[in-house]
Amino acid sequence: MRYPSTVLDIGQTAPAIPGLDLGSDAALIVFFETDCPTCRLAVPYLNKLARGARVIGISQDDQAATNQFTQQLATAFPVQRDSGLALSRRFDLTFVPSLFLIDHNGRVLRSHFGFDKAVLNEIATQMRCPPVAEDFDGAPQSKPGCMSRHLEPKVEEEFGPAPPVSFSRGVPASVIEVPDGEDLFEYCFQTFGDALPVIPPTPERIARMLSGAAVNPNEVIARVPPCYGEATVEKIAANAVMAGCLPNMMRVLLPLVRAVCDERLNIHGVQATTHFAAPLVIINGPIRNELGFAYRQNAFSNVARANSTLGRALQLILLNIGGARPDAIDMSTLGNPGKFCYCIAEHEEANPWEPFHVERGFQRQQSALTLFAAEAPHGVSEHTARAPEQVLKSISYALATVWTYRACLGSEAVVVLSPEHARTIDRAGWTKLRAREFLFENTGVPVRAYDNAPDAEGSQLVSKYKEILIDGERCYQKFRTPDSIRIVVAGGTAGKFSAVIGSWAAGPRGSEMVTYPI
Amino acid sequence: MPTKLINPMNEAPLRVSLPPARLRSLQGKTVGLLDISKTGGNLFLDRLEQLLRERFHVANVVRTAKPTFAKPAPPGIIEQLRTVDAVVEALAD
Repeated sequence: MRYPSTVLDIGQTAPAIPGLDLGSDAALIVFFETDCPTCRLAVPYLNKLARGARVIGISQDDQAATNQFTQQLATAFPVQRDSGLALSRRFDLTFVPSLFLIDHNGRVLRSHFGFDKAVLNEIATQMRCPPVAEDFDGAPQSKPGCMSRHLEPKVEEEFGPAPPVSFSRGVPASVIEVPDGEDLFEYCFQTFGDALPVIPPTPERIARMLSGAAVNPNEVIARVPPCYGEATVEKIAANAVMAGCLPNMMRVLLPLVRAVCDERLNIHGVQATTHFAAPLVIINGPIRNELGFAYRQNAFSNVARANSTLGRALQLILLNIGGARPDAIDMSTLGNPGKFCYCIAEHEEANPWEPFHVERGFQRQQSALTLFAAEAPHGVSEHTARAPEQVLKSISYALATVWTYRACLGSEAVVVLSPEHARTIDRAGWTKLRAREFLFENTGVPVRAYDNAPDAEGSQLVSKYKEILIDGERCYQKFRTPDSIRIVVAGGTAGKFSAVIGSWAAGPRGSEMVTYPI
Repeated sequence: MPTKLINPMNEAPLRVSLPPARLRSLQGKTVGLLDISKTGGNLFLDRLEQLLRERFHVANVVRTAKPTFAKPAPPGIIEQLRTVDAVVEALAD
């Protein structure tokens, strides 16, 4: 028996979309679900495509969820709802995101399920647009999607109303009773703390914290490695209370918990390694000023409640829900002060180039957070150089020591440029990309450093290293690509100090940087 | 009156597994050797395999390696080791 095809074939006429005038151009129809991570991953690329081509989004969810999705991701193309999932049935799709490229006669030119950078670039070419997806932008090359809403088992009636957005329901947190006479702060300090005092998570404080999130308190946002504890909204709120967050910080904390559990970041490994790594949070976009994140002087330190409490809340969540306690599962040899709090925001106002999250595929007005498995910052002072090459050279010498001097290709780095250094580089007409490429081409380890050191870390892998000339000297190139070096601008406008932050094991075999919308 | 607090910790019950009974002898047994892919793990396990065969007369040795030390073993590796009598994991460099 031959089963009917579940995909519209190329050349078939696509079902009519109510209210859509095809006009004279091709259009890309994209079906999505608002809670599908792959659909969310695809939006920044579709936004790019929408700059030069016609993209139409079809949401399988209700209006409230659709509005939240389009606002969070700042969709740059029109979106309409598939009421009753009628269109999804007519297009006969199986998974979301589903992409249908149709010509002006309504004929299907191509269809695709899921996320795939190569396919997106091919579609861009077909629509006479430049490529929209780069190879090494932090997102995977491809990712399968979710089952189309109309095929989910809970849709019982053939043309019933669209189901509500589903979520995984967790168990309400238990209530602990602390007897009279016991010192409440001392009890919390010893039971839930991270070796610093915490604010007692009373039901009243948690109710206030939950007022900052329009989400069911029992919704499971993620399961936090390495013990895979359920991070319900309520548990996240309890840890946010303990860290001293204000209720509006829940806006950042929910996507932050999702991001930290993204398999690409591999927090399981980050929390269990003997290395120094701790997740560094980088905040971008309007939320910086809305919630009071500091990005001027003392960007890494104790200057603002927003940075300090968000960073600490994340760490408490990793400890209390994820279970990586520093006296047991987390066996880091030396640790990292960032395990109390490691959160900065970009000084976008002093950044002469595009903000970091724009480089990562988001719109400027979209707030976003980035996570990087990071060592502690290593300072670079350069107060006398006046040319970009000289400033960047000083930074490249620090970059050469990341992980360990002789080890190449295995790590990445974030360079936090101070506003003064960024200005010196920009004033000479350099773009951020040019600065990154210069750092890439000028960071290396002299071949002579491997003489008489066959057992030293990094020496065993020299056959894999690329030899280049830096200032006439034979060197092994330190990093794999220019994308291994990311530039963020932060700090006060006085002081020519920048910082280099090394990574843990980088790439798909270790940890990959992730950026999520807020 | 006692003060009420909302429990901020993971409350999912942890699955506790007891270690299997200790083997009385290695003779005739199958031993799995898991290399987590850290530098030097193969040197250690090569020597261990030799000792297991020559001195302890094991019947068979199953050698396997994780693709990366930075992530948990994929299911295929675990399945491969499910049938052996004992496993030695070369954890660190």
